[in-house]
Amino acid sequence: MIPVLGLVAGLAVGLFLDPSVPVWLQPYLPIAVIAALDAVFGALRAILDGIFNDKVFVVSFLSNVVVAAFIVFLGDQLGVGSQLSTGVVVVLGVRIFSNVASIRRHLFKA
Amino acid sequence: MSTERRPDESMTLLTTMMERPLDAGYQEAADRRIAAGLPGATSTRTVLVVVLAILTGFLFAVAAQSLRPKPTAAAAVKKELVTRIEALQKHGTDQEAKVAALGKQVRDYEALALQQSGGTDLTSTIKDLEVQAGAVPLTGPGLTLTLDDAASTDTGADAGSRPSSGFQEGRVTSGDLQIIVNGLWGAGAEAISINGHRLSSTAAIRFAGQAIIVDFRPLSRPYVITALGDTQGMQQLFDPSFAGLYLSQLTDEYKIRSILAGSDSLTVPGDSAARLEVAEPVGPPVGSTGPGATLQQGTSAPKRSAGAAPTGTSTSTTRSPSDTSSGATDSGTGSPASPTSEENPS
Repeated sequence: MIPVLGLVAGLAVGLFLDPSVPVWLQPYLPIAVIAALDAVFGALRAILDGIFNDKVFVVSFLSNVVVAAFIVFLGDQLGVGSQLSTGVVVVLGVRIFSNVASIRRHLFKA
Repeated sequence: MSTERRPDESMTLLTTMMERPLDAGYQEAADRRIAAGLPGATSTRTVLVVVLAILTGFLFAVAAQSLRPKPTAAAAVKKELVTRIEALQKHGTDQEAKVAALGKQVRDYEALALQQSGGTDLTSTIKDLEVQAGAVPLTGPGLTLTLDDAASTDTGADAGSRPSSGFQEGRVTSGDLQIIVNGLWGAGAEAISINGHRLSSTAAIRFAGQAIIVDFRPLSRPYVITALGDTQGMQQLFDPSFAGLYLSQLTDEYKIRSILAGSDSLTVPGDSAARLEVAEPVGPPVGSTGPGATLQQGTSAPKRSAGAAPTGTSTSTTRSPSDTSSGATDSGTGSPASPTSEENPS
């Protein structure tokens, strides 16, 4: 429950402060969001599986975000930034979907 | 790990992605903790988790805020323009109604003044001229011709955007309207209005971009042409005429929709833009001749092609019997003793 409150607090702070993101960082935002979502759903599934570990969560979160951003950065340098972004979104999207499916099986037994 | 080769072993990347989406690290960490005698899962209420949750929320909010498509300046300007146009159109309509009311008042006063001055009774003459100049609304039997673009023509979806091609053949053009209106005049129409705009002798049907403009006011489809006159006779004359054939050709070839209907009671409004441009003395000085020598100037007005070109000045009402200047017309044919004929070939 407390992490959920933290999430809501973070959302509120972000909406309230509305910080301006530097332009060079903006291409990485959507990828970072997808990567963070993947880590969050992975953590939820781990909690339900009874194997949650906070250090693993933090490390997977950060590495997801950093690696995803790095792939997009690399793609930008190679001139295939949008294609690599699509690839990252597809891979992470598949992971998110199967994690959510697993969570759904846990919660609804269906 | 089974010792047998899986048939899809060459696709390990895909299978791991599809079958084991959860980070293997969770399982390993849990195994380690269980081996050390601790419960497999750690608490979700550690500082790390809470901080990361706050960070995640912040990330989501910032990303959503900064990536949401902002309303472009062009859209804002367009909205502003639409509001202003609508407000001004309403203002214009109100002013037109006011002009009409005031014009009626002025005419009443004029009639009164004429009566009181004891001059010859010009009321009927003025009425006649006003009718022919298109200054007053008229009601009577007539035809209604409704024209609309072909059904296949792209309408509405990209309204307001720049037309990609110059001409779409399913559209009603100003030229079509000109030909049809001229045909109706030729068939004996006495007064014509398009979408509620009276066609006076100076009215022009033109186009700007893809919009049809009548008397400098843009029209929107469908185009309803109201022509007053002998319903039967007009229809009989119009159908075989050039304009009628042209119209049926439009319908057959380009699927432009047209509906011709007769009615016993139609109304065309007055031309609110009519104003006094030329004044002529009514025959010789007041009193020496009867009203029979009044102007004939308006009679040819409705026959003139109202659409082809804005020729001719408004044949406005004569209201100054004491005006003695006889050289008021361009053609100079007017003399105080003869009925003047006002034509202004401009």
